Amino acid sequence: MSRLDRGPVSGAACGPDIPAIEVQGLSFAYPGAGAPVLEGLDWRVPQGAFALLVGGTGSGKSTLLSLLKPEIAPAGERTGDARVLGENVADMDVRASAERVGYVFQDPENQIVCETVWHEMAFGLENLGLARDEMRRRVAETSYFFGLEDWLHRDTDTLSGGRKQLLSLAAVLALRPRVLLLDEPTSQLDPVAEKNFLHALFRVNRELGCTVVVATHQPRPMLEYATCAYRIEDGRVREVADMASLGRRESLFSDDMLGWGAVRCAKNGVFSRREDNLGSLEPPGDVSSAKKSSELDKSSEFVAQTSLENGSEAFPRTDGSRILQKMHGGSATTLAGSWFRYDRAGGWVLRGLDVAFSAGAVHAIVGGNGCGKSTMLSVLAKTAKLQRGRMVRGAASAALLPQNPKALLVAETVRDELMEWASTCGYDENLARERAAQLGLDGLETRHPYDLSGGQRQLLALAKLLLIGPELLLLDEPTKGLDLFSRRIIARALRDHAKAGGTVIIATHDLDFAEQVADDIAMMFDGEIACMEPPADFFADNVFYRA
Amino acid sequence: MPVDIMREESGNEPVAAFSMSHPAVPSLYMVLTLGLTMFSMQPVLIALSLAGGLAYGFATRGAARTLGALRWQLPVILIIALVNPLFSASGSTELFRIGMRAVYLESMVYGLCMGGLFVASVLWFGAAASMLEYDKVLALLGNAAPVIALMISMCMRLIPQFLRRGRTVLAVQDAIDVPGRAPADPVRSRLRASSVLMGWGMEDSLERADAMRSRGWGAATRRTTYARYRLGRSDIAALVGLALFGVATAAVAWTATTQYSFYPQLSVPAPWPGYVVYAAWMVLPCALHAIDEKRFG
Repeated sequence: MSRLDRGPVSGAACGPDIPAIEVQGLSFAYPGAGAPVLEGLDWRVPQGAFALLVGGTGSGKSTLLSLLKPEIAPAGERTGDARVLGENVADMDVRASAERVGYVFQDPENQIVCETVWHEMAFGLENLGLARDEMRRRVAETSYFFGLEDWLHRDTDTLSGGRKQLLSLAAVLALRPRVLLLDEPTSQLDPVAEKNFLHALFRVNRELGCTVVVATHQPRPMLEYATCAYRIEDGRVREVADMASLGRRESLFSDDMLGWGAVRCAKNGVFSRREDNLGSLEPPGDVSSAKKSSELDKSSEFVAQTSLENGSEAFPRTDGSRILQKMHGGSATTLAGSWFRYDRAGGWVLRGLDVAFSAGAVHAIVGGNGCGKSTMLSVLAKTAKLQRGRMVRGAASAALLPQNPKALLVAETVRDELMEWASTCGYDENLARERAAQLGLDGLETRHPYDLSGGQRQLLALAKLLLIGPELLLLDEPTKGLDLFSRRIIARALRDHAKAGGTVIIATHDLDFAEQVADDIAMMFDGEIACMEPPADFFADNVFYRA
Repeated sequence: MPVDIMREESGNEPVAAFSMSHPAVPSLYMVLTLGLTMFSMQPVLIALSLAGGLAYGFATRGAARTLGALRWQLPVILIIALVNPLFSASGSTELFRIGMRAVYLESMVYGLCMGGLFVASVLWFGAAASMLEYDKVLALLGNAAPVIALMISMCMRLIPQFLRRGRTVLAVQDAIDVPGRAPADPVRSRLRASSVLMGWGMEDSLERADAMRSRGWGAATRRTTYARYRLGRSDIAALVGLALFGVATAAVAWTATTQYSFYPQLSVPAPWPGYVVYAAWMVLPCALHAIDEKRFG
């Protein structure tokens, strides 16, 4: 592929000095909403940039990006001027917009339209009514650029999330846009797939000269590719001068609630150590001291636990004495010599797996895609049956939070959603309200679950499950795509649940979350548990697999 | 099964005749074959068609699966043969009587032929499915009906996703295990699952619509269709050849069928060179397949 910025210019003339994106005095308010999302916003992104657009949930990142694509811009009141490559966005028709500005959405599931990979690649070209020979050429070269010719004939439904998202990027690139806008493109991907995707994006930027703008609330993995960053806050955009500051790891247990994790992390010096080694593969310089601290781990654990007991009076509302039913789990949940496969022809997904999960603790299972994490959760949830081996569930009750919270949502309002199992599981509205407040859902009772943000929806699903009081709580990727605020709430809720005697098992790719929240981390590989250790030991001994 | 666990299915095309031709060639053959099979109510022609369909099944799907299907196909033929005399009491050779009703040989043979015709059609439909995969049909619909082609493609994409999600929703429901809670009523839990799926699907469709628009949906007055096949000179030659061969076979079938009668007395088919033409037509895909196999050793 030739560089897109040297290709024949379609539409308006644009020399290299014209900014890729130029926004002046842009204001936007959703209909019926009081305050505008964007107010008098000025923004310039130079051509060829790899720009990050950071900001919390609801700060207007997505709104700003979609206002640059007239055909997907939300309805609302808008004033001001937006230009892409010198051309006024309002003057672009669907064709011009598709050819000049590419847009990649967050969810890999939802933006794939066609059944096979090759047809998906051709979808945009078909829309523009291109001749078959031209389509062949574009599909061919785009496939080669992304190296997806090996799976060109696969059904899109059978692709992994990472591949789906890569395909979405390729399908947009087949239209040869000069500017590429991406809205949280990697938030649904595991870390390895995220790296792959970002690397492909990096090549699009540097080799093809395509201007890239990524909206994200997790800029850390993208910093090494980005050339500039902008923060959107209070409806305005300003450039982030100190980009390294975006790489800071935030503690999940913030200072005002001196929780268990913060105490322990402070003890092990996790944060200071991690920051020194940001982005390097070298084992930490003070391995010996890390080892030492891990040898002392039992005692430090003890200290941490007791300090939590003491600290719990500091936040009486959330100590859980009212909301949490008493649990007397006590005994561990174990899998012994477990073998499982989905069908006779398929390979074994669990191969003689042995593991014990103690009660009153949070256990994290980490490992690559398809390593069997979700399958193990299904076995523990009794929705899949072992072909050989034994599963003993120490807990009297159980619930499973699926990867996508939409699988749990059925009602018209948040309130009805929370009350769905009230009669069968024995809780009342007060308890539901209290639980909702604890998970940061207060004030949303009358909203439709689908009008909530992704994070709020996840919290709602979790609240719903916690209300039935399961002693064994299984969670599949509970922090996927969530911002810091929601992750903090979930971290707290899980710790509280464990503290009340429940067993919490999380399958996750979020090593950062696992490190701060879990009591131990198990790495699954090839159908077995490769190792299972407390976080400090786990990360002290890992060289490649780190938060 | 989670997507991640799914084994890599390489894009292997199934074993099928005409795999090197433009889809127009197998589809012309299949349309003619199905037409010939369904409209030739004559025992010899039905036997030939049945034999051709079976032979193709053996060649491409293997003996085990073809014979396995016969396990239900043979009883169907028998049932139709036995049931037909009960409905049509015509003919001249009375076999026996059930109560007041006479059962004639002619109507039993007619039923046997009807059963054979039905099974032959089923076999040929199976062959059509193997020769004309979905993307070949799409290429045929092609520029003539681009929107329908896309709709089919979207359905093929969304149906497996919908089923998988349905299983997820049910699994999440089943995973909720609280002592003392009555086991969920299967009907109600299915109803609940379908309403979950409805909300989920509608929500996703909004985003999918945006994704479609952002890639130029509706930009051109006429969509085009990407096709992996080109209609080459050899394809046109094959189409002309097949058309001529088809006309000859149709003439044979027409002659044989009009000359044959079941009632009042079965006519006895005489040896006739026309049957060779019909047999050659029916065995064509099998022969092509054999040539293909030979080529690859």
